Amino acid sequence: MSAATQYYIATILVYICVDVIACWGLDLQFGVTGVLNFAFVLFQAVGAYTAAMLSLGPSSTSGGFQQYLVGLKLPFPLPILGAMLVGAALSGVVGLITLRRLRSDYQAMVMLVISVVATVIAESVIGLANGTAGLALIPNPAQSLSSLNHETQTWVFVGLCAVLTLIVGIVMYALVYSPYGRVLRGVRENEAAIEAMGRNSTKARLQVFVIGGMFGALSGALLAEFIGAWAPSEWVYPETFVFFTAVIVGGRGSVSGVALGAALVGVGVQQAVQYLPIGGDPIVLASLEWIITGVLTLTFLWVRPQGLLPERRRRFRSSTVPPARAIDGAVTS
Amino acid sequence: MALFTSAVGFGVVTAAILAISAVGFTLQFSVTNVFNLAFGSVMTLSGFVAYWLNQGGMSIWIAMAIAGLCGGVLSMLVNELLYARFIRHGLNLFGMVIVTISVGLITDHALQAAVGPSFFSYNAPPGRAFHFADFVLTGQELLIVVIAVVLTALTQAGLRYTRLGKAMRGLSANPALARACGIPTRRVVALAWFTSGVLAGVGGVALFLDISTFTATTGSEFLILIIAAAVLGGIGSPRGAVVGALLVGVLTEVGAAYWNPELKDVLAFGVLIAVLLIRPQGLFKQLATERAIVR
Repeated sequence: MSAATQYYIATILVYICVDVIACWGLDLQFGVTGVLNFAFVLFQAVGAYTAAMLSLGPSSTSGGFQQYLVGLKLPFPLPILGAMLVGAALSGVVGLITLRRLRSDYQAMVMLVISVVATVIAESVIGLANGTAGLALIPNPAQSLSSLNHETQTWVFVGLCAVLTLIVGIVMYALVYSPYGRVLRGVRENEAAIEAMGRNSTKARLQVFVIGGMFGALSGALLAEFIGAWAPSEWVYPETFVFFTAVIVGGRGSVSGVALGAALVGVGVQQAVQYLPIGGDPIVLASLEWIITGVLTLTFLWVRPQGLLPERRRRFRSSTVPPARAIDGAVTS
Repeated sequence: MALFTSAVGFGVVTAAILAISAVGFTLQFSVTNVFNLAFGSVMTLSGFVAYWLNQGGMSIWIAMAIAGLCGGVLSMLVNELLYARFIRHGLNLFGMVIVTISVGLITDHALQAAVGPSFFSYNAPPGRAFHFADFVLTGQELLIVVIAVVLTALTQAGLRYTRLGKAMRGLSANPALARACGIPTRRVVALAWFTSGVLAGVGGVALFLDISTFTATTGSEFLILIIAAAVLGGIGSPRGAVVGALLVGVLTEVGAAYWNPELKDVLAFGVLIAVLLIRPQGLFKQLATERAIVR
């Protein structure tokens, strides 16, 4: 296999891992618990920036061509762990602001606003993370294994991503298919009933907000370390919508379904568009990607709202309550 | 002081554009309870309709009226063909948010693919300058403010004094009761979408006139400010939307004058979040419980 093909396959594998981790984070919030986090991509971005700032070293190095905060040069697992920590902390702050007091329709709108504000701030305050140009030369941890050649280093990173995806997957299964997961689904299906059973639904929402934000940050850290660059154009607010599409297509609340959806929508659509016989105008291709994503969402919401691999619903024979329909967030009438 | 008053002057123009759009956004939400995140795309599409008419030699103000009608018809059609069907299909409030985002993204990017990423601008003279205390407004800007005052006042009066307005308020307060009273829900909802589309169309053309260059995504980028104004005033309250628009418009321009112009929106959003922390229902709204969408 040529080096180029190898690199192409490795790239796709890393992108799949990154998208699967991110979509699981969003699924925990939106699919399982019914929290509509329209700022999700912000947490991926925060993870990416944190990992970069913790591994780039002081901003005066390499001629000081980019400005950013912090600027540490920490060894391997620390930038990723730091990213997860910062992602979780920021989720906690945003969650405390939005989830506690606001009506849930306001929550969704305020998240959207927060996502946009964050982009504006990152673009205009240059000293924060180098403004619109973003950060470059973010070190890939596998490159510190200097005894290996470049291809092997790439595959080591693919392996790292795969292992982390596996770990997040195990955590997801443990959370979702446990008594705790039942509480979360209860918050989604009938908040009043969950409260009546003595569970604190706001606390549950906050918890999944933090855990989901942590997964988002992890995915961002891996992505930034792999591409080596990260800029505000990577995380404008419509990007969150791609994750939503992936979750809806895969099957909300279903761990395996969402992984499938993430691979199909996050990576599959982008790759498929490249092979369409319509010429290579990058603007048209990028537009087409968004159009396909939108049409996919509408189609699935109409034809198969439960997704490709639906969440398995427990039914009890004595129950007289009909199963809930279609796409339920937190609140109906 | 001169800096302050001139900033307020610019703020009033921004507020006028915001008010037209925010009233449209919030009116339709109060009647149907659907968050229309494709609202910005209706603005952009209408703006481009006006652009094509304007290129054909038509005055931008007549083009604005026609674009408003197009926006209304478009908005009503999208509701009939898509939103209403999805709602009858059983989607709830949050499902509908995702549907409207999808429609917005599809429209914006279809337009982007058609017209390309370039910048457009209307062929319209700014008109003579009008001097106020410390600031100067062009005739164009002044006319935008007048249009905003007339349109928001008309909407207010329509809601307050006409049968249709009464039906809309009834539907907003209690859909089931409204239907039981014999209000033709479907027609009123369609008219709410139409009105909201007209305001989106006029607001879009006014926005594009004011910022002078626009692209296929300008409307959707502006939508966030509209949402901020609507939420600030208490979403679903047209009167609140006007006050919210004034606050957001003036704050952004004053922020631009005294602070970093690139960060001017941040100030408005900061105020929005602060207000919501103290008054979660927005400035001018009773604390209402959430309602389901009107079917």
